Amino acid sequence: MTRKTRAAEAFLSTFLAITAGLLLSFAFLPFMGIHPLSSLGLLFSSMFSDRYTIGTIFVKAAPLILTALSFAIAYRSNLFNIGAQGQFYIGAICAVSVTLGLQNRIPAFLVILLAGLAGSLGGGAVGALIGLLKAKYHANEFLVSMMSTYVIAELMDYLLRTFLREKAKDYLQTDSIDPSAWLPVIVGKTSVHLGVVLAVAAALLVWVLLFKTQAGFRIRAVGLNAEAARMCGIRPETQCILTLFISGLLAGFAGFIEVNGMQHMLITGLDADVGSYGIGIAILGSANPIGILFASVLFGALKTGGTTLGQVSNVPASIIDLMEGFVMIFVLISYFVRHKISLSKTKRLLGKAVKHD
Amino acid sequence: MIKLLANALFMSTPLILGACGEVVAERTGMMVTAVEGIFLFGAWGGFVGAYFTKSLLLGFLAAIACGVLVALLYAVTTIHMQQNQVVMGTAVNILMTGICEFFYRVIFGTPLEPLTVKPLPVLPVPLLADIPVLGTILFRQNLITYLTWILVPAVLFLLYKTSLGLTLRSTGENPEAVDVAGIRVNRVRLLAVLFAGILGGIAGAYYSIGDIGMYTTSIISGRGWIAFAICFLGNWNPLLALGAGVVFGTSDAVGVYVKSLGSGFFPSELFTALPYILTILLTVVRRRFNAPAKLGTAYVKEH
Amino acid sequence: MDQPVIEMLHITKKFSKVVANDDVSLSIGKGEVVALLGENGAGKSTIMKILYGLYRADEGVIRVDGVPCRIGSSRDAIRLGISMIQQNFSLVPAHTVTENIILGNCRGLIDYRRKEREIAALAETYGFDVPAGELVRNLTVGAQQKVEILKALYLNARVLIMDEPTAVLTPQETDRLMEFVRQYVQKGNSVVFITHKMREVMDVSTRIVIMRGGRICGAVKKEDADETALSRMMIGHSLEHLTKPAGGAEEKPVGFSVRNLSIRRKSEPPLLEDISFDIHKGEIIGFAGVSGNGQQELCEAICGARPVTDGSVVLDGRDITHLSIRRHIESGIGYVVSDRLRYGMVMNLSIAENLLLKESYGPKWRKHGLLDRKRLNRYAEEVIRRYSVKAPDPSVPGWSLSGGNQQKIVVAREVEAGKKMILFDQPTRGLDLGAIHYVHKTILEEKAKGKCILLVSTELSEIFTLSDRIVVLYRGKIAGIYKPSEVDAGKIGLLMSGYRNGEEKR
Repeated sequence: MTRKTRAAEAFLSTFLAITAGLLLSFAFLPFMGIHPLSSLGLLFSSMFSDRYTIGTIFVKAAPLILTALSFAIAYRSNLFNIGAQGQFYIGAICAVSVTLGLQNRIPAFLVILLAGLAGSLGGGAVGALIGLLKAKYHANEFLVSMMSTYVIAELMDYLLRTFLREKAKDYLQTDSIDPSAWLPVIVGKTSVHLGVVLAVAAALLVWVLLFKTQAGFRIRAVGLNAEAARMCGIRPETQCILTLFISGLLAGFAGFIEVNGMQHMLITGLDADVGSYGIGIAILGSANPIGILFASVLFGALKTGGTTLGQVSNVPASIIDLMEGFVMIFVLISYFVRHKISLSKTKRLLGKAVKHD
Repeated sequence: MIKLLANALFMSTPLILGACGEVVAERTGMMVTAVEGIFLFGAWGGFVGAYFTKSLLLGFLAAIACGVLVALLYAVTTIHMQQNQVVMGTAVNILMTGICEFFYRVIFGTPLEPLTVKPLPVLPVPLLADIPVLGTILFRQNLITYLTWILVPAVLFLLYKTSLGLTLRSTGENPEAVDVAGIRVNRVRLLAVLFAGILGGIAGAYYSIGDIGMYTTSIISGRGWIAFAICFLGNWNPLLALGAGVVFGTSDAVGVYVKSLGSGFFPSELFTALPYILTILLTVVRRRFNAPAKLGTAYVKEH
Repeated sequence: MDQPVIEMLHITKKFSKVVANDDVSLSIGKGEVVALLGENGAGKSTIMKILYGLYRADEGVIRVDGVPCRIGSSRDAIRLGISMIQQNFSLVPAHTVTENIILGNCRGLIDYRRKEREIAALAETYGFDVPAGELVRNLTVGAQQKVEILKALYLNARVLIMDEPTAVLTPQETDRLMEFVRQYVQKGNSVVFITHKMREVMDVSTRIVIMRGGRICGAVKKEDADETALSRMMIGHSLEHLTKPAGGAEEKPVGFSVRNLSIRRKSEPPLLEDISFDIHKGEIIGFAGVSGNGQQELCEAICGARPVTDGSVVLDGRDITHLSIRRHIESGIGYVVSDRLRYGMVMNLSIAENLLLKESYGPKWRKHGLLDRKRLNRYAEEVIRRYSVKAPDPSVPGWSLSGGNQQKIVVAREVEAGKKMILFDQPTRGLDLGAIHYVHKTILEEKAKGKCILLVSTELSEIFTLSDRIVVLYRGKIAGIYKPSEVDAGKIGLLMSGYRNGEEKR
């Protein structure tokens, strides 16, 4: 079997699994007394109804791309960073603090640059810390990263209640940041901002890193067989810290683009599901940055369509969670089915070869 | 203070229940990372069951059924289809979030006022409940809490004094040895995960119909993971898990208490975050683990 | 002869990659010791695992006492009185001896104290010195094997299958095992002995069955057996002899030396103690010894994978004792590890990427900061050609190759990395003959290039054919260094098992 047919098979089976997952989710709609086909039509028409909505798809996809990359790069190194949500929050906190502190005092582009840097490094620091605990104390990174999200969420609430609270003191949120510090909208009559481009660029960069550089090769080698990698001069401990740093960096960067590009302030519970969606998308895209790009756009579209669907009909927005859950499980099952089929295929070929003996 | 302690025990019950199930499953090598989804579906199923039948017992039975259902999905995909346990757990948890929210809407629409059922009553133990201080803390609890206290030594006994326990423990340490002894590894694992599903379902329902008497989407919000962590911190021993569970229950109760005070710049959030911080610290500090050797790995045999 | 206890008729078993058994028929009589002789991968273990219910045959019938039986799991086999001791044992290290023995063979409540007494009594009747309450992880390998045997005895097994039982034993322990086997069959039981060692076969068996390539290619009574004929049957042709280039290495300069190397642990016997030796350029030094006597630790210490307590390692006049693994690789040491699956290859990476592993920091495959995939692929294709690796192209993953072909890739990589020195730790273990031949040829080629070569092997014949000097390692110490012409296999064997002879010292 050549590399190309393998890739084609993988693509086809993933595509089938996604379709099956989506169809199954829609099959639930009659429970609500809604005709699934008509709502499917409605979903699509509402997704592509106008220029602005189409733009929203990409705006929603942007942070998902980044948190999915965050999970994927760690996953490639056999590390489970399921704390992207927390690193996203830290990124958002750092970005909004820097922006609020520096805006209108120094040139706007510098504000944006520093906010982006602060957000990324903040997220990266959390990731590196988790990596350090793992490398040095053998702490389970899965447990630590998960717990860190809850801690950071509380920290964020505290800051929003105290130091970062808006002047009006009404809600748990910061003041709006000055429009000069916004990431510029790059496509007219939409909300598509620079962050979307940056997220796509990040995906391409991660792809290059993973598959076209020696550093990325080391990350993958450690992920697939840490002992063998160690024997070949690659230190798994160093790689662990480094990989989780990059992982956190990506999630932190997502926090920055949401604050400076989309929300223009920090509110409590900002994008509370961006982390878990990221994991789902990373798995849909087989932890491949290019696959993640497509999967993110798919879910950006579903989210956008789902929201409008909820407004114009009484299809609940939770249908999207349902879809993502089913699609994920179907994709995972498709991996198993593909494995089984290829096993039995080789066995059958072998059987034939023996008979011809 | 007494009330706080009583409340701490009250809050620790579902955590201990969940952790006990997790202990049994992890002893066979299965991390039940779907625990959050099991809790959530249990909470949902318990509420729906209790709301329509007006019976808490039937509510809990429904919760058990729901918990087992999620556990079954998780078990089949991880044990028989050998998918990664962490990845699969995440997928199941996301699916359950969607299913619970969706079907709550399907069944109840969007009620203007939250729907409620009467939660589990306090069941004072005759005589013992009258002991000053201790009686109030220990013996004015609900039925599930008492049952949990019986369950913990029962699981301990099961693990260390019975042949089933020996099989369970061996499966997590060296599944091949179990296979060679003529026991089906995957069946042992399946049953253990289903057991975790039963306990997880009850634990979930404890939050909805045991405590507040209603269902909200954020009712679990990480409590399943805490049970998961307790199993870890309890060194895969039900008795130690009980201890860890009480610590977490206490900090949960203190957090609720402090938050009700509402305090300016004082970081009351610290108390809410305490269990999570504690988990991180303990995972770092504790050097010697006796984690089951084959925890998290599928048993694959070529046929 | 009476009715055989076990008859296996026309058994065929296919795995996804190989046909492990092809129409195999085999019978085991009462009181017999059947030796199942064959090379690695001949299908010996598979046929016995089918009998023990661990695998299910695709075709064929099994009769026990003349009655056709369906053995669907080990439980069925145990019920029929069949027990099997796996090659890598199947014990739970964290549990006690008693817990291990009664696993799966008890019901309901367990009275551990009573069970412990029972097992202690059972051990005593067979003269086994195994503490029933001890954790298995604290036992020596020999004692662990006794636990496995006790497990079978506890189950009243009348057919005992042992898979390579002597691979991990010292000669003395082997003798005791053989003694037990004789005693056991005298009681009317049967034993099947899976092995690839000729000596054992001659020692204890009553009948010898030879397997090759998944088929049975001969069966002889012990009285009629002769070793050369057996080995010819086992291999399929007689071994061709490699021509070793003439010695003369000792006149060349010393390229590598180890001085007083020790690795000590807290409150445990040292892994290595006071090891000193030199390797001349173009010399092959062979380390003989039962595995587990410090060979792997020595290799790891030389490569920087294991911290050294004392002593020094010098390569080409440069002290490399405490450098990291990465620096060791950069200084020109290649290391073919013994456990390929765990340490040698990344099975999910492609052939090309596996060749890249040791160069993940170096500039060799870098172009403009990126990986030069094209050049790497061309190189991998060349390796595939040069070593005749059976693979369609360099992009296929490591796991899709057979063991021999995987080893060729590892050898190719290490030969490339080891500019000055190469360590071969059991480089031919588990390989088929073709691959073994390739590895031997490569080792001699590298010697001719003037590299220092350290060869570890448990096969004495391999050591004798290739080495310029032979070192015997016993319990982490050097028991002697000899030229092959000065000693014979018998003497090396004695040294390997700890016999010392001071007057032979040089």
